[in-house]
Amino acid sequence: MLGLEAISAHNGWAMAVTGTIIVMGGLAILAFIISQLHKIIWLFEKRQQAPPHFVQPADNINILNDLEAAARMYKPLTANLGDSFHLAELYRVFEKEKLPHPHLTIRALRAAEYLEPLGEGVFRWKKNQH
Amino acid sequence: MELFVEFLKNTGYYLADIRYILMICVGILFCFLATAKKYEPLLLLPIGFGIIIGNIPFFKGFGLGIYENNSVLHYLYFGVTSGLYPSIVFLGLGAMTDFSSMLARPKLMLLGAAAQMGIYFTLLSAMALGFAPKEAASVAIIGGADGPTSIFLTAKLAPHLIGPIAIAAYSYMALIPIIQPPIMRLLTNRKERLIRMPDTERPISRKELLCFPVIGVILCCFLAPASIPLLGPFFFGNFMKESRVVDRLAKTASTSVIDTATIFLGFTVGASTQADVFLTVKSLGIFLLGSVAFSIATASGIIFAKIMNLFMKEKINPLLGAAGVSAVPGSAREVHLVGLKEDPGNYLLMHAMACNASGVIGSAICAGVLWSFMMR
Repeated sequence: MLGLEAISAHNGWAMAVTGTIIVMGGLAILAFIISQLHKIIWLFEKRQQAPPHFVQPADNINILNDLEAAARMYKPLTANLGDSFHLAELYRVFEKEKLPHPHLTIRALRAAEYLEPLGEGVFRWKKNQH
Repeated sequence: MELFVEFLKNTGYYLADIRYILMICVGILFCFLATAKKYEPLLLLPIGFGIIIGNIPFFKGFGLGIYENNSVLHYLYFGVTSGLYPSIVFLGLGAMTDFSSMLARPKLMLLGAAAQMGIYFTLLSAMALGFAPKEAASVAIIGGADGPTSIFLTAKLAPHLIGPIAIAAYSYMALIPIIQPPIMRLLTNRKERLIRMPDTERPISRKELLCFPVIGVILCCFLAPASIPLLGPFFFGNFMKESRVVDRLAKTASTSVIDTATIFLGFTVGASTQADVFLTVKSLGIFLLGSVAFSIATASGIIFAKIMNLFMKEKINPLLGAAGVSAVPGSAREVHLVGLKEDPGNYLLMHAMACNASGVIGSAICAGVLWSFMMR
């Protein structure tokens, strides 16, 4: 069998058309995805971005003497911990950020009731504290 | 004396006929082109020497020939018939490929897809000329201008045609500087060839380079699972390269591993062209259709680029369409050279590499699609 008859008998037309559509479609989709890839990555990175990095207080500021300022500065650091947190978690955050005297600061904040106890070792920032 | 006569009767000199001499001359020609003219030496040299070895006549039954069980050549040839060498070559190719130019210019990927039209046109032509469907698909894949892909698909569909198809595919890849430029000039005018492509593409981040092989393998292999043996290693090799945590593996894949596979692939494919198997009317038909496939593939890419220009504000240099075939980096280099001839300041190489890279993916998908069609 030869010619157009052979093509039709072997289903050649359908194969050629379907194959063309598959390859063109596949590569077009891939091209579209990679053209958007940098935007997807950017969105993903933006979502994963940590809260603004905490600025270390200058050495000459004595945090323990100005607990209100300290609480205001440290509050954003606990944004990832949620509304309430264990003191151990707060301690880890303070240590990670290399804040001065973490243990003393937490104790002072707690004593001055900037950290409100919720029971079972869980605390939250005092509501009227900004 | 009788022993001496018997011995003489078993020598290649006695057993040779004109067909073997002709094929040995072809082998010598390939070696000459590789060494003196430096035409694709990495391919033509092992193939050329393989042709010489494969066409030394011998007494059948000694377990010497590539088609005789238990011969050394037969074991080496297993890598071809099983599709092992093409997969390994693709692994190395992936580890060598830099997709950043393609990621920066995704629209050029469409030219890589368009250039695959040559495959389907040839499929129809081969069927019309009386080839069986599986043979026609194997012949058609030559249009992808990708040696390992052609060998892989032929090994799966029509193993008896591996020799002529591989030789045709690699010959046309080597002849890119002769075949492609006339087609490029015929289908474009000077104004089109002078179109400059913007060279201020956005920088590609490492994360994009890292995500691409994962997205690519999932998307392409889900679409055409039969292309897993080619695209799986290809994207894996690229992922190793881009991850930058397994530099040793990526380096090995892109050097020793691919080189070893290329040596054995070329050598055994060459040796498989034994005159009594190779010199047939069918082989002539394959060579003829192969050149048609390659030319149509080149033309389809160029014509598609011109069609895209009808709808796009920022015009594409249609020469880039010729780089949509997957002969990396030969066709990209040729596009660049033709562009430079018209305008010495028009650098098309990076853009052409983008089309080339997508052509590799496109032809592997085509191979997978044809394989699955023929298995039905």
